[in-house]
Amino acid sequence: MSLIDRLFSVDRRWIFLFVMLAVAVPILFPLGLPVTTTGSTRAAFEYIESLHAGDIVWLSYDYGPSSAPENDPMAEAFLRHCFVKDVRVVMCALYPLGGLSLMNASAARVAREFPEKKYGTDYVNLGYKDGPEAVMRRLGENIADAFPTDVNGTPIEGMPIFQGIRTIGQFKVVFTVATGLIGEYWITLVNAQFGTPVIIGPTAVSAPKYYAFLNSGQLKGMLGGMKGAAEYEQLLARAYPAMSEFYHRTRLFTGTKGMDAQTGIHAVIVGFIFLGNVAFLLARRREGRA
Amino acid sequence: MRWVIRHCLLAILVFASAASGAPSGTLTPPPPELPAPDQFVAKDRPGDSGKAILLTWKDPPSLPAGATFEARRAEPPAYEWTKVADVKAGVQRYVDATAKDGVVYRYELRVHHADLADTLGLAGTIGPAVVSDPVASHDNWIKPERMNSLVACVLFLVLLLGSIGMAGRGTQFFIRRIAGLNAVDEAIGRATELGRKVLYVPGILSPGDIQTVASLAILGHVARATARYGSDLDCPNRDPLTFTSARETVRSAYLAEGRPDLFREEMVNYITYDQFAYVAAVSGRMVRERPAANFLIGHFFAEALILAETGQSTGAIQIAGTADPAQLPFFVAACDYTLIGEELYAAGAYLSREPVLLGSIRGTDLAKAALLLLGLVGIVSATLGHDWAAALLKTQ
Amino acid sequence: MTGLHFDIGRVLLLVCFGIVPLVGIILGFFAPSLRRQLPLIVAFVAGIVPILSLYIPKAFLSAPGQGMSPRLDQYLIIVAGFALPLGVVNVIQLNTRKVGRGEKGWFFSLVLLIGLFVMGSFGVYGAFSGTGIGFLPNGAPTPFQWMTDWLFQPLQSTIFSLLAFFMASAAFRAFRARNVEATILLVAGVLVMAGRVPLFDLLAYPFPPLKPAAASLTQTMGHLTEWIMDGPNSAAQAGIIIGSALGAMAMAIRVILGIERSYLGLGKGD
Repeated sequence: MSLIDRLFSVDRRWIFLFVMLAVAVPILFPLGLPVTTTGSTRAAFEYIESLHAGDIVWLSYDYGPSSAPENDPMAEAFLRHCFVKDVRVVMCALYPLGGLSLMNASAARVAREFPEKKYGTDYVNLGYKDGPEAVMRRLGENIADAFPTDVNGTPIEGMPIFQGIRTIGQFKVVFTVATGLIGEYWITLVNAQFGTPVIIGPTAVSAPKYYAFLNSGQLKGMLGGMKGAAEYEQLLARAYPAMSEFYHRTRLFTGTKGMDAQTGIHAVIVGFIFLGNVAFLLARRREGRA
Repeated sequence: MRWVIRHCLLAILVFASAASGAPSGTLTPPPPELPAPDQFVAKDRPGDSGKAILLTWKDPPSLPAGATFEARRAEPPAYEWTKVADVKAGVQRYVDATAKDGVVYRYELRVHHADLADTLGLAGTIGPAVVSDPVASHDNWIKPERMNSLVACVLFLVLLLGSIGMAGRGTQFFIRRIAGLNAVDEAIGRATELGRKVLYVPGILSPGDIQTVASLAILGHVARATARYGSDLDCPNRDPLTFTSARETVRSAYLAEGRPDLFREEMVNYITYDQFAYVAAVSGRMVRERPAANFLIGHFFAEALILAETGQSTGAIQIAGTADPAQLPFFVAACDYTLIGEELYAAGAYLSREPVLLGSIRGTDLAKAALLLLGLVGIVSATLGHDWAAALLKTQ
Repeated sequence: MTGLHFDIGRVLLLVCFGIVPLVGIILGFFAPSLRRQLPLIVAFVAGIVPILSLYIPKAFLSAPGQGMSPRLDQYLIIVAGFALPLGVVNVIQLNTRKVGRGEKGWFFSLVLLIGLFVMGSFGVYGAFSGTGIGFLPNGAPTPFQWMTDWLFQPLQSTIFSLLAFFMASAAFRAFRARNVEATILLVAGVLVMAGRVPLFDLLAYPFPPLKPAAASLTQTMGHLTEWIMDGPNSAAQAGIIIGSALGAMAMAIRVILGIERSYLGLGKGD
């Protein structure tokens, strides 16, 4: 078998092996590659930076365990940013399978880093509700209709964080960390009908779709995949020395740590594409000569 | 209560000043007067389902920094005012969503400043109140901010029904060739020749999603073809509603082809609601049972590439179709034929070749042409500095 | 004398989705053609109510929680809940048959049934005992939560991680410069992949003198990638979204008006 034929018919298991090595090696031996920022993430960051202490935002966990490596770092970076700026956060989960436990774990992790933040005053966890579209329509009329109690069963009416707050229209922004359609519902229902600005943190696969919404002004910003999470962490670290210290020391998984592996796998894929095309062009030339 | 305290203290002050023989005319200077709100109007909130009153006003020019607006409500003829809101300056509107339909209210609005001292040295000063006319909330027939959307829908309907009407009267419409749909019979024929089954995955969402309905329409045609050719069909489902609909679709198709004897309930089966457990099961089936033709048609998410690549590795002919832009590239890369976007919705009409359905595709194309034209005109006018097109299309 | 409170929305829903189907089923025994007509009538009502509620905010139609449209949303959740046991019964029937007959792949069916019953039992126990399916008051996980954390989530992540491998093999096979369009696809794909990550920094990692040049190249690629995503990609995505939306509208109108019936298994002449 000639080299060209061998390149053409590479057993896919070789590709799988290289992919595995490209992901595993940077995780075991971190390279610390630099992360550049993009306009969509900077737009999201600057929007939150423009908020004032006491402003209130909505954070929606609309993803499941399968995309947690991409979405968890985004949600946590956003939450840390809000806490650092003394912005109040209302959290909910609308993804049916695993969204609630992810939110509980993620919120508990970040809350431990900010012991001065008071539950019920600075942040609240409203738990999970089924039927995202119906929930969003009700949020436009009265939040307590959609979420009468928080995740612990405490009625939300009377909580200090909801003083003077009744509808989603009064929130400065909704940050939806999404996989699938629920992120789109926030844009087409909440932003379109109630005017609340939306920032989205989709998985990398869905991110290209949201550029259309970004350019039309329906989104204030976007964190695309793990790269978007890494960018947000970089921006946060640059703006706040305490956050820089945190991201330098933390043993938790962050988007920045995942970028080494992502770079490795991109390199492998580009390499194999290059090899495949070399084989293709050589085969074509061989056929041309024959 | 504040009224009582204020007047008691005033009395004490007057008495004390008289008793002390202090000369009159040495009172502290009066606090600055707070202005009254301008143009205060209370009306039923337009375009809603009731139970809401909209209060609007203009901030007076001489409003001091830090002042807020206190809104109170009373039900005539009794005038027991209840506070409903404290609104910051600059907002100039408030929706009272606690109103009851049919009940007449009056609203009072006044400026309040928590930090200014009033004549008695008490913190807080309240300006003169403005009272609204009586108002009651009720539900409305029309949502004014959506009228442009309604007009667009009506125009679309006119184009669609007009084209359907023309098709019904015998007008022939040209529909371009869609390779993926032309290959349906070829794929099923291949499966029949090889003696292997046809696998049909109708997406992972419920029939509430229109892509699933489109997929079920195509499933009906595929089931008729498998009934005609006598090949085996396997339709695993992730959503229970889709499972029940798909089963009825396939059963009806086999009945319509006159082959109810070939229909088996196990042809359409339910796997699990979990996305990745479902894809693991279907991938396992593809690898073990090696269907000759795979149809991946409907709404897919991350599992699209896993299904398509696994099917590709088994050597099956694959026809995919989805309207989700995020998954289209994976299907294009891994499948033999892909229905892109609206080709999926046109499939039912294309396969059945019913004139009425073909007419509806024509109507959709006309609507698209109209939108393209509007878009072009809007681009030109926006470039010249006129935003009327964006304003025309803005809806809420 | 008190007035009667007449909730017209609830009555209309009861008529459309309760009485009409019942009448249809009964009449269907005598006139089979009605069995085809009545589902179309129900589909019409179920489709037209949410559309009307978008434009007509009357309370009987659109009031949150009480109007016909929000009630229909709730009905859908309830119907889906009732459909789920149907699916579970089907899973049990199919797989017990496979195990009983010793058909090919019966072992996988056995594993599925064991998983279904074990996890399902813990879930049902949690519901009836009041401990729930999350965490106990002392912070310890319930058996259901434990299985979710240590079995379900790792299995989900494993299947999801297959995407990385499949993406590489699909890219190797599909990204070939066969013709002009394929070449454009190839070039755009490689540029975006190279621009989204610090690829040149990785390649320059073993060669420190090249790092500044690599960093500069990464910046340039990043800007190019942003332009591709903001420009051509955004335009193409918008085109597909708009086209799909129009197609979806047309499909929905056809279904609501009963013109499209193949989803019911009805074809020409039915």
